[in-house]
Amino acid sequence: MTDDTSLRAPLVIEYPFTRTTGPVVGAFLTALREGFVVGTRASDGRVLVPPAEFDPVTNTPLTEVVEVGSEGVITSWTWVTEPVPAPQRPAGEEPPWDPSVDAQPFDRPFAWVLVRLDGADTSLLTVADVEDPAQLHTGLRVRIRWRAEREGSIRDIEAVEPVVSGEDLP
Amino acid sequence: MGAERVAVVGVGQTKHDAVRGDVSIAGLVHEAAQRALDDAELDWADIDAVVIGKAPDFFEGVMMPELYLADALGAVGKPMFRVHTAGSVGGSTAIVASDLVAAGIHRRVLTVAFEVQSVSEAMWALSFPYPFQPPMHAGAGGYFAPHIRSYIRRSGAPDHIGILVALKDRRHALGNPYAHLHEPDITFESVRDSIMLWEPIRYSETCPSSDGACAMVLTDEAGGDAAAASGRAPAWVRGTAVRSEPTLAAGRDQVSPLAGRECAAAVYREAGITDPAAEIDAAEIYVPFSWFEPMWLENLGLCDVGDGWRLVDEGVTQLGGDLPVNCSGGVLSTNPIGASGMLRFAEAALQVRGAAGDHQVDGAQLALGHAYGGGSQFFAMWVVGAAKP
Repeated sequence: MTDDTSLRAPLVIEYPFTRTTGPVVGAFLTALREGFVVGTRASDGRVLVPPAEFDPVTNTPLTEVVEVGSEGVITSWTWVTEPVPAPQRPAGEEPPWDPSVDAQPFDRPFAWVLVRLDGADTSLLTVADVEDPAQLHTGLRVRIRWRAEREGSIRDIEAVEPVVSGEDLP
Repeated sequence: MGAERVAVVGVGQTKHDAVRGDVSIAGLVHEAAQRALDDAELDWADIDAVVIGKAPDFFEGVMMPELYLADALGAVGKPMFRVHTAGSVGGSTAIVASDLVAAGIHRRVLTVAFEVQSVSEAMWALSFPYPFQPPMHAGAGGYFAPHIRSYIRRSGAPDHIGILVALKDRRHALGNPYAHLHEPDITFESVRDSIMLWEPIRYSETCPSSDGACAMVLTDEAGGDAAAASGRAPAWVRGTAVRSEPTLAAGRDQVSPLAGRECAAAVYREAGITDPAAEIDAAEIYVPFSWFEPMWLENLGLCDVGDGWRLVDEGVTQLGGDLPVNCSGGVLSTNPIGASGMLRFAEAALQVRGAAGDHQVDGAQLALGHAYGGGSQFFAMWVVGAAKP
C-alpha cells in the first residue's frame, strides 16, 4: 500500500566511469571507429573476436592483432518482442550521459545474435535488424551495417543484416 | 595458524601512478603477478589457486572483475577466491592465501590485489547522497579528520607531528622505485604551507589516488625451503590476524578501535612476540593521512597510549631509527586502495628477505604488515620473519 503522507525523493544511482582500454581492447575499439573488426590470435591458432588480452590456456599476453571480415554467419540468436525503453528521468533532471546507452538498440522488435565473422573462430554478440524472426536462422549469412558517425564503441556496429545476394552457409 | 608453515617466496608490484594509461585492469594485475612469479622462479602452471582482493567494485564500476581477470592471472580451471574487506582488503586477501597454504589445501597460491583509481573518483564514491540524510560530501578525509582532532586533544600532540610524518614517508619513497609520489624537493615548509583540506589534514599530509597492483606467491614449507636452498631467502609467515567491529557501535573508540588493539594482540601472540616495539625491526602501517601514524603506533601497542607522537617527534620511526615505519613510503606515497594493504604486507616480506633495496632496514629479522579499512573498523595484520616459526 502506498501511504500518501510518506516522504519521497528521487535516488538516481549514477556515477561517471572511464576506461583505460590497454593495447588489445584499445586496438579493437579503434578499428571499430575506422569501420572494421579485429581479433587476437591465441596460442592454439584460433582467432578470438572480440579479442582476448590474455591467452586462456597459457595466460601470456596476446599481441597478434588480426583483421577479420565484416560478414559472417549467425551461430545463435534470440528474438526481442518488446524492447525495453530508455529509463525515464525525474522531471527537470538532465542525464549526464547519452540516454541511448541505457536503451536497447532499437525501439522496434529485433534480435540479439551471436555472429562468427569470416576469419574468426569465436562469435561476437551484436544485434540483427530484421522485421520478422522468420527471416533469421542459425547459419544465416549476415553483414555488418556500420553507424555513419563512429566513435570507437561497440555501438559503432549498428546491426547486422542478412546478405541478400549471398548464400546461406550451414 | 595451521600445521603447515607458510613462506612468501615471490613479491611483485607495478609501478604505481596517478594514471596507468598504458594498461587495462587485466594488464595491470598481470604485470604484478608476472613479477611475483619471476621473483619466485615459478611459472603459471606451478600455481594451485589464486586469491584476489580489491576495494568495492563500484570504485571501477566493474562488477566481480575477478571473473574476467582469470585469463590474466592464470586462474582458468583453478580455484579462484575473491576477498572483500574495504581498504584492509589487500591484507586480508594475503591472509586468506596464507590460510589456504597453512591448512594444507593448496601448496602454492598466487595472491593479488589492485585498484585503478583513475577510472573513477573513489573519494566521492564514499559520499553517496542518500535522500533525507545530510549530504556529507566529505570523502575519507572529512570522515577521519574528527578522529584525528580527537587524538590531538587527548594526547596534546603539537601541530607539526602530522607534517613530520608526511615529510618522512615522502622521503622514504625516494628509495622505492615503484612508489607513486617521488618528491625530492619536499620540505617541512612545503608540507606546512600546503592547503588545508580537512583541518588538521593538509594536502601534503594526504595519500595520493593511485593505479597499481601487488602480488605475492605463498608456498608451503617445502617451497620455502627450496627457495632458501637456491639462495632466494623467503619470508616466513609467523602470525596472522583479522578483526572487525561495527562502524557505528555505541561507545566505540574511533581513535583507537578495540578491533585494532585485539588484532595486534592476536598477531603478536601467534608470532610469539611479547615486546613488539623491541622485537619488530620494521613496520609497514596503513597511514593514508599523516596523523594515523602516531594513532596506529598506540593502537598497535608499539608505544604507550599518548606517546605515539613522541616517537614521530624523536625520529624513532625514520629509516635508521629504532622502529622504522613505512620505509617504502607507505600509503602516503602510493595508494591504489585495494592493493595498499597487500603492499604493506609485501613490503614487510621484502624487509625480512633483505630485498627492499634502497629502503632496506639493515638486518631486519621480524616485520609487521598492517592494513585497516572502512571507518577504521576492519583490521588485518601479519608478522613475517627471516627465520622459520
